[in-house]
Amino acid sequence: MSGADDKADVVRVLAGDVSAFTEIVRRWQGPLVTLAYRFCRDRGRAEEMAQEAFLRAYRGLAQWRGEGAFSTWLFALATNLYCTELRRIPARAVPLELITEPRDAHRHDAAYEQADTERVVRRAVLALPAKYREALILFYFHDMDVAAASASLNIPEGTVKARLARGRDILRKKLAPRLFAPMVRKEA
Amino acid sequence: MAQDDLDRILFGEQEIMPSSGFVAEVMAAVQREAVAPPAIPFPWKRALPGIAAAVSAVALVLGSLLMGAKAHGPTLADLPPGVTSVLHVAHQMGAGWIAIALVISLVSVKLATGLAVGRT
Repeated sequence: MSGADDKADVVRVLAGDVSAFTEIVRRWQGPLVTLAYRFCRDRGRAEEMAQEAFLRAYRGLAQWRGEGAFSTWLFALATNLYCTELRRIPARAVPLELITEPRDAHRHDAAYEQADTERVVRRAVLALPAKYREALILFYFHDMDVAAASASLNIPEGTVKARLARGRDILRKKLAPRLFAPMVRKEA
Repeated sequence: MAQDDLDRILFGEQEIMPSSGFVAEVMAAVQREAVAPPAIPFPWKRALPGIAAAVSAVALVLGSLLMGAKAHGPTLADLPPGVTSVLHVAHQMGAGWIAIALVISLVSVKLATGLAVGRT
Protein backbone atom coordinates (compact mmCIF):
# COMPACT_ATOMS: atom_id res chain seq x y z
CA MET A 1 0.00 0.00 0.00
CA SER A 2 1.68 3.14 -1.18
CA GLY A 3 1.02 6.62 0.11
CA ALA A 4 1.91 7.99 -3.31
CA ASP A 5 -0.84 5.87 -4.91
CA ASP A 6 -3.36 7.20 -2.42
CA LYS A 7 -2.29 10.77 -3.05
CA ALA A 8 -2.47 10.36 -6.84
CA ASP A 9 -5.95 8.82 -6.61
CA VAL A 10 -7.19 11.55 -4.31
CA VAL A 11 -5.92 14.21 -6.72
CA ARG A 12 -7.73 12.48 -9.58
CA VAL A 13 -10.98 12.21 -7.61
CA LEU A 14 -10.81 15.86 -6.60
CA ALA A 15 -10.26 16.76 -10.24
CA GLY A 16 -13.57 15.09 -11.07
CA ASP A 17 -12.54 11.51 -11.93
CA VAL A 18 -14.89 9.64 -9.59
CA SER A 19 -13.72 6.25 -10.91
CA ALA A 20 -10.31 6.84 -9.28
CA PHE A 21 -12.01 6.32 -5.94
CA THR A 22 -12.41 2.63 -6.90
CA GLU A 23 -8.68 2.12 -6.36
CA ILE A 24 -8.91 3.69 -2.91
CA VAL A 25 -11.81 1.39 -2.03
CA ARG A 26 -9.95 -1.69 -3.37
CA ARG A 27 -6.83 -0.78 -1.42
CA TRP A 28 -8.54 -0.11 1.92
CA GLN A 29 -11.65 -2.32 1.90
CA GLY A 30 -9.98 -5.11 3.87
CA PRO A 31 -8.67 -2.97 6.73
CA LEU A 32 -11.86 -0.89 7.00
CA VAL A 33 -14.18 -3.93 7.05
CA THR A 34 -11.86 -5.73 9.48
CA LEU A 35 -11.83 -2.74 11.82
CA ALA A 36 -15.62 -2.45 11.63
CA TYR A 37 -15.96 -6.18 12.31
CA ARG A 38 -13.84 -5.91 15.45
CA PHE A 39 -16.20 -3.24 16.70
CA CYS A 40 -19.45 -5.09 16.02
CA ARG A 41 -18.60 -8.81 15.41
CA ASP A 42 -21.25 -8.88 12.68
CA ARG A 43 -20.06 -9.30 9.11
CA GLY A 44 -23.08 -7.71 7.44
CA ARG A 45 -23.08 -4.72 9.73
CA ALA A 46 -19.30 -4.38 9.34
CA GLU A 47 -19.66 -4.03 5.57
CA GLU A 48 -22.46 -1.49 5.98
CA MET A 49 -20.36 0.57 8.37
CA ALA A 50 -17.31 0.35 6.11
CA GLN A 51 -19.41 1.44 3.13
CA GLU A 52 -20.62 4.47 5.07
CA ALA A 53 -17.00 5.23 6.04
CA PHE A 54 -15.94 5.20 2.37
CA LEU A 55 -18.88 7.41 1.47
CA ARG A 56 -17.91 9.92 4.14
CA ALA A 57 -14.31 9.75 2.99
CA TYR A 58 -15.46 10.56 -0.54
CA ARG A 59 -17.54 13.50 0.68
CA GLY A 60 -14.71 14.86 2.83
CA LEU A 61 -11.79 14.05 0.54
CA ALA A 62 -10.93 17.73 0.11
CA GLN A 63 -10.39 17.97 3.86
CA TRP A 64 -7.38 15.68 3.67
CA ARG A 65 -4.54 18.14 3.23
CA GLY A 66 -1.92 15.58 2.34
CA GLU A 67 0.28 16.43 5.33
CA GLY A 68 -0.13 13.11 7.09
CA ALA A 69 -0.66 9.66 5.61
CA PHE A 70 -3.98 9.14 3.84
CA SER A 71 -4.45 5.95 5.87
CA THR A 72 -4.18 7.90 9.15
CA TRP A 73 -6.90 10.27 7.99
CA LEU A 74 -9.07 7.43 6.70
CA PHE A 75 -8.75 5.35 9.88
CA ALA A 76 -9.52 8.36 12.07
CA LEU A 77 -12.64 9.07 10.01
CA ALA A 78 -13.72 5.41 10.08
CA THR A 79 -12.99 5.06 13.81
CA ASN A 80 -15.04 8.14 14.58
CA LEU A 81 -17.95 6.75 12.55
CA TYR A 82 -17.72 3.24 14.04
CA CYS A 83 -17.54 4.54 17.62
CA THR A 84 -20.55 6.81 17.05
CA GLU A 85 -22.48 4.02 15.35
CA LEU A 86 -21.71 1.51 18.11
CA ARG A 87 -22.69 4.00 20.79
CA ARG A 88 -25.96 4.60 18.93
CA ILE A 89 -26.75 0.92 18.35
CA PRO A 90 -24.46 -1.23 20.52
CA ALA A 91 -23.17 -4.58 19.33
CA ARG A 92 -24.97 -7.55 20.80
CA ALA A 93 -22.56 -7.89 23.70
CA VAL A 94 -23.14 -10.40 26.46
CA PRO A 95 -22.34 -9.08 29.96
CA LEU A 96 -18.90 -10.16 31.13
CA GLU A 97 -20.40 -12.21 33.95
CA LEU A 98 -22.38 -14.35 31.50
CA ILE A 99 -19.75 -14.85 28.83
CA THR A 100 -18.04 -18.03 29.95
CA GLU A 101 -19.32 -21.28 31.21
CA PRO A 102 -17.25 -23.53 33.45
CA ARG A 103 -14.97 -25.74 31.41
CA ASP A 104 -15.97 -29.25 30.70
CA ALA A 105 -13.45 -31.28 32.65
CA HIS A 106 -13.96 -34.25 30.33
CA ARG A 107 -13.15 -32.31 27.22
CA HIS A 108 -9.45 -32.47 26.37
CA ASP A 109 -9.51 -31.22 22.83
CA ALA A 110 -6.75 -28.58 22.96
CA ALA A 111 -7.70 -26.93 19.68
CA TYR A 112 -11.32 -26.67 20.77
CA GLU A 113 -10.33 -25.17 24.10
CA GLN A 114 -8.01 -22.70 22.42
CA ALA A 115 -10.71 -21.58 19.99
CA ASP A 116 -13.21 -21.34 22.82
CA THR A 117 -10.86 -19.19 24.90
CA GLU A 118 -10.23 -16.86 21.99
CA ARG A 119 -13.95 -16.51 21.32
CA VAL A 120 -14.63 -15.72 24.96
CA VAL A 121 -11.86 -13.11 25.14
CA ARG A 122 -13.08 -11.37 21.99
CA ARG A 123 -16.64 -11.26 23.23
CA ALA A 124 -15.40 -9.96 26.56
CA VAL A 125 -13.71 -7.05 24.78
CA LEU A 126 -17.09 -6.10 23.29
CA ALA A 127 -18.62 -6.07 26.75
CA LEU A 128 -16.09 -3.53 28.06
CA PRO A 129 -17.11 0.10 28.62
CA ALA A 130 -16.81 1.99 25.31
CA LYS A 131 -13.64 3.97 26.01
CA TYR A 132 -11.63 0.89 27.03
CA ARG A 133 -13.11 -1.23 24.24
CA GLU A 134 -12.23 1.38 21.60
CA ALA A 135 -8.64 1.73 22.86
CA LEU A 136 -8.11 -2.04 22.90
CA ILE A 137 -9.63 -2.61 19.44
CA LEU A 138 -7.56 0.16 17.85
CA PHE A 139 -4.34 -0.84 19.62
CA TYR A 140 -4.48 -4.42 18.37
CA PHE A 141 -5.82 -3.41 14.96
CA HIS A 142 -2.77 -1.16 14.50
CA ASP A 143 -0.36 -3.98 15.37
CA MET A 144 0.01 -2.81 18.96
CA ASP A 145 1.10 0.69 17.93
CA VAL A 146 -0.03 3.21 20.55
CA ALA A 147 0.75 6.22 18.33
CA ALA A 148 -1.41 4.89 15.50
CA ALA A 149 -4.25 4.04 17.89
CA SER A 150 -3.97 7.51 19.37
CA ALA A 151 -4.16 9.11 15.90
CA SER A 152 -7.22 7.05 14.97
CA LEU A 153 -9.01 7.86 18.20
CA ASN A 154 -7.83 11.49 18.16
CA ILE A 155 -6.80 11.36 21.81
CA PRO A 156 -3.34 11.72 23.43
CA GLU A 157 -1.05 8.68 23.58
CA GLY A 158 -1.00 8.86 27.39
CA THR A 159 -4.77 8.53 27.47
CA VAL A 160 -4.61 5.51 25.15
CA LYS A 161 -2.01 3.87 27.40
CA ALA A 162 -4.11 4.52 30.50
CA ARG A 163 -7.24 3.11 28.84
CA LEU A 164 -5.34 0.07 27.60
CA ALA A 165 -4.02 -0.65 31.07
CA ARG A 166 -7.46 -0.26 32.63
CA GLY A 167 -9.16 -2.28 29.89
CA ARG A 168 -6.70 -5.14 30.21
CA ASP A 169 -7.04 -5.03 33.96
CA ILE A 170 -10.82 -5.40 33.72
CA LEU A 171 -10.45 -8.25 31.22
CA ARG A 172 -7.95 -10.11 33.38
CA LYS A 173 -10.09 -9.77 36.49
CA LYS A 174 -13.26 -10.85 34.75
CA LEU A 175 -11.83 -13.64 32.64
CA ALA A 176 -9.22 -15.25 34.85
CA PRO A 177 -11.52 -17.04 37.32
CA ARG A 178 -13.88 -18.32 34.64
CA LEU A 179 -11.33 -19.38 32.09
CA PHE A 180 -8.58 -20.71 34.26
CA ALA A 181 -9.89 -21.47 37.73
CA PRO A 182 -11.40 -24.88 36.87
CA MET A 183 -8.19 -25.83 35.12
CA VAL A 184 -6.15 -24.79 38.17
CA ARG A 185 -8.42 -26.81 40.43
CA LYS A 186 -8.04 -29.81 38.20
CA GLU A 187 -4.26 -29.44 38.15
CA ALA A 188 -4.20 -29.09 41.95
CA MET B 1 -4.84 -14.38 32.48
CA ALA B 2 -1.38 -13.14 31.51
CA GLN B 3 -0.94 -10.08 29.33
CA ASP B 4 0.94 -12.25 26.83
CA ASP B 5 -2.16 -14.42 26.43
CA LEU B 6 -4.36 -11.39 25.86
CA ASP B 7 -1.89 -9.93 23.37
CA ARG B 8 -1.60 -13.22 21.51
CA ILE B 9 -5.37 -13.68 21.24
CA LEU B 10 -6.28 -10.11 20.34
CA PHE B 11 -3.28 -9.46 18.12
CA GLY B 12 -3.59 -12.71 16.23
CA GLU B 13 -6.99 -12.01 14.69
CA GLN B 14 -7.32 -12.61 10.98
CA GLU B 15 -8.29 -9.87 8.52
CA ILE B 16 -11.88 -10.08 7.29
CA MET B 17 -12.25 -10.28 3.53
CA PRO B 18 -15.19 -8.20 2.30
CA SER B 19 -17.76 -9.90 0.08
CA SER B 20 -17.06 -9.95 -3.66
CA GLY B 21 -19.57 -7.21 -4.50
CA PHE B 22 -18.38 -4.81 -1.83
CA VAL B 23 -16.34 -2.52 -4.08
CA ALA B 24 -19.18 -2.33 -6.61
CA GLU B 25 -21.70 -1.47 -3.89
CA VAL B 26 -19.49 1.26 -2.47
CA MET B 27 -18.83 2.72 -5.91
CA ALA B 28 -22.55 2.66 -6.75
CA ALA B 29 -23.20 4.69 -3.60
CA VAL B 30 -20.33 7.03 -4.46
CA GLN B 31 -21.65 7.50 -8.01
CA ARG B 32 -25.11 8.33 -6.62
CA GLU B 33 -23.44 10.84 -4.33
CA ALA B 34 -21.45 12.31 -7.22
CA VAL B 35 -24.48 12.94 -9.44
CA ALA B 36 -26.71 14.19 -6.63
CA PRO B 37 -27.21 17.96 -6.68
CA PRO B 38 -25.15 19.77 -4.06
CA ALA B 39 -26.83 20.57 -0.77
CA ILE B 40 -28.56 23.92 -0.72
CA PRO B 41 -26.44 26.26 1.41
CA PHE B 42 -28.06 28.23 4.19
CA PRO B 43 -29.22 31.56 2.72
CA TRP B 44 -27.15 33.80 4.95
CA LYS B 45 -27.63 36.86 2.73
CA ARG B 46 -31.40 36.64 2.95
CA ALA B 47 -31.43 35.70 6.62
CA LEU B 48 -29.00 38.42 7.65
CA PRO B 49 -31.58 41.29 7.84
CA GLY B 50 -33.88 39.12 9.95
CA ILE B 51 -31.06 38.07 12.27
CA ALA B 52 -29.88 41.68 12.56
CA ALA B 53 -33.43 42.83 13.36
CA ALA B 54 -33.81 40.14 16.03
CA VAL B 55 -30.48 41.01 17.64
CA SER B 56 -31.37 44.74 17.56
CA ALA B 57 -34.75 44.03 19.16
CA VAL B 58 -33.18 42.01 21.95
CA ALA B 59 -30.53 44.70 22.48
CA LEU B 60 -33.25 47.36 22.54
CA VAL B 61 -35.30 45.47 25.14
CA LEU B 62 -32.27 44.79 27.32
CA GLY B 63 -31.08 48.39 27.00
CA SER B 64 -34.52 49.75 27.90
CA LEU B 65 -34.76 47.45 30.90
CA LEU B 66 -31.31 48.39 32.12
CA MET B 67 -31.94 52.13 31.73
CA GLY B 68 -35.34 51.88 33.38
CA ALA B 69 -33.86 49.84 36.22
CA LYS B 70 -31.14 52.44 36.75
CA ALA B 71 -33.67 55.26 36.89
CA HIS B 72 -36.56 53.87 38.97
CA GLY B 73 -36.73 50.14 38.69
CA PRO B 74 -37.85 48.23 35.59
CA THR B 75 -41.47 48.60 34.46
CA LEU B 76 -43.20 47.56 31.28
CA ALA B 77 -44.13 51.16 30.63
CA ASP B 78 -40.43 51.95 30.04
CA LEU B 79 -40.33 49.67 27.01
CA PRO B 80 -41.08 50.90 23.48
CA PRO B 81 -44.79 50.54 22.55
CA GLY B 82 -44.10 47.81 19.96
CA VAL B 83 -42.26 45.71 22.50
CA THR B 84 -44.95 46.09 25.17
CA SER B 85 -47.67 44.92 22.73
CA VAL B 86 -45.55 41.88 21.81
CA LEU B 87 -45.02 41.08 25.50
CA HIS B 88 -48.76 41.52 26.14
CA VAL B 89 -49.66 39.06 23.37
CA ALA B 90 -46.98 36.62 24.58
CA HIS B 91 -48.40 36.85 28.10
CA GLN B 92 -51.91 36.14 26.83
CA MET B 93 -50.66 33.09 24.90
CA GLY B 94 -48.92 31.74 27.98
CA ALA B 95 -45.48 32.07 26.39
CA GLY B 96 -43.84 31.73 29.79
CA TRP B 97 -45.33 28.30 30.34
CA ILE B 98 -44.46 27.24 26.82
CA ALA B 99 -40.87 28.33 27.39
CA ILE B 100 -40.71 26.43 30.70
CA ALA B 101 -42.17 23.30 29.03
CA LEU B 102 -39.62 23.54 26.22
CA VAL B 103 -36.73 23.92 28.65
CA ILE B 104 -37.92 20.93 30.71
CA SER B 105 -38.28 18.83 27.53
CA LEU B 106 -34.79 19.81 26.38
CA VAL B 107 -33.25 18.98 29.75
CA SER B 108 -35.09 15.61 29.84
CA VAL B 109 -33.91 14.66 26.35
CA LYS B 110 -30.31 15.71 27.09
CA LEU B 111 -30.33 13.81 30.38
CA ALA B 112 -31.81 10.65 28.83
CA THR B 113 -29.36 10.77 25.90
CA GLY B 114 -26.44 11.31 28.25
CA LEU B 115 -27.46 8.37 30.43
CA ALA B 116 -28.02 6.10 27.43
CA VAL B 117 -24.62 6.97 25.90
CA GLY B 118 -22.90 6.62 29.27
CA ARG B 119 -24.17 3.07 29.68
CA THR B 120 -22.66 1.76 26.46
